Amino acid sequence: MTQEYLNNLVKAGVLKTESATAEEVSSLIGSGKLRLADAKNSSLNLESRFDLAYNAAHALSLAALRIAGYRSENRYLVFQCLQHTLDFPNEKIRVLDEAHRKRNIAEYEGSFDVEENLVEALIRVTEEVSEKILDKRA
Amino acid sequence: MGTKNSTPTTISLHESQRAYPSVLADALFNSSQQRVFSLLFGQPDREFFVSELIDLAGCGRGAVQRELAKLAGSGLATVSQVGNRKYYRANRESPVFEEICGIVRKTVGMEESIRDALAPLADRLKLVLIFGSVVGRTDTTASDIDLLLVSDELTLEAVYGALTPAEEQLGRRIAPILYTSDELRRRQSEKAGFVTRVLERPHFNLIGSLDDTGIPE
Repeated sequence: MTQEYLNNLVKAGVLKTESATAEEVSSLIGSGKLRLADAKNSSLNLESRFDLAYNAAHALSLAALRIAGYRSENRYLVFQCLQHTLDFPNEKIRVLDEAHRKRNIAEYEGSFDVEENLVEALIRVTEEVSEKILDKRA
Repeated sequence: MGTKNSTPTTISLHESQRAYPSVLADALFNSSQQRVFSLLFGQPDREFFVSELIDLAGCGRGAVQRELAKLAGSGLATVSQVGNRKYYRANRESPVFEEICGIVRKTVGMEESIRDALAPLADRLKLVLIFGSVVGRTDTTASDIDLLLVSDELTLEAVYGALTPAEEQLGRRIAPILYTSDELRRRQSEKAGFVTRVLERPHFNLIGSLDDTGIPE
């Protein structure tokens, strides 16, 4: 993890330093894993699966940030920080970034248009966030 | 420059996605020209500071400055000065502006960077087309380059990964949308849907054509 990068974000005022309780982290991970499992249910609508996977991705990515001792209300940043909190490669963060963009369009412009491939990629990447967090805690 | 007959270019680009354009590029431009032309005429509405061109071209300060002097001297590019900073852009008033943009796009510019980046995945891609503001020339430097891709094997992560070098080379973000053949087919039948709108507007094929995916355009 590149502490320096994260500390610069703190100086810029977009990230806060705040240590997490074990309870809080467990709750985020639990919620993330639950939603991720449901997102894999292919009998659900694509839109619902996307919502579940997106929220799972956010809960788990936030857990990674909380474990590292930081907090942010900025969802975009929570995903970007995975590069430093879990050593995530750019192409996987791009998947989360795109999901975040699509989620905003759906939320604020009311038009949902997500490709199957994005939902599949989102589920794969979120699964990896989940696995890496467990490695970290073990 | 052999621009009289444009048909073979279109066909050959599809057949040998990698080798042919760079052979063309080498015949037309030396290596520093390739980099400078690809920046100025690949993004003809963008103004570049000299230092920016030197960084992006990555072929040495002297070489870039020599090319810029020739371009400005011939009126192919315009120069402006703000304080002690000079910036350059392609000159729309030049009589060969449109032609050079076309040649650059097909040999060393955006089209070629993207085709190059996707070359390792090409056998698994049924269709790649560029659409949106870069094609309609309504783009700004902040606009993404919009790509529509069709593959039944590739993951979105693999596409993002492959495109990263092109994004760095072009200094632009590329926004790929990846469909399976089935999903594309389904979306094409939606009359007011996104895919229908993309196909009605200006776009160009980079790999394959819609015929290859079994759907007539």
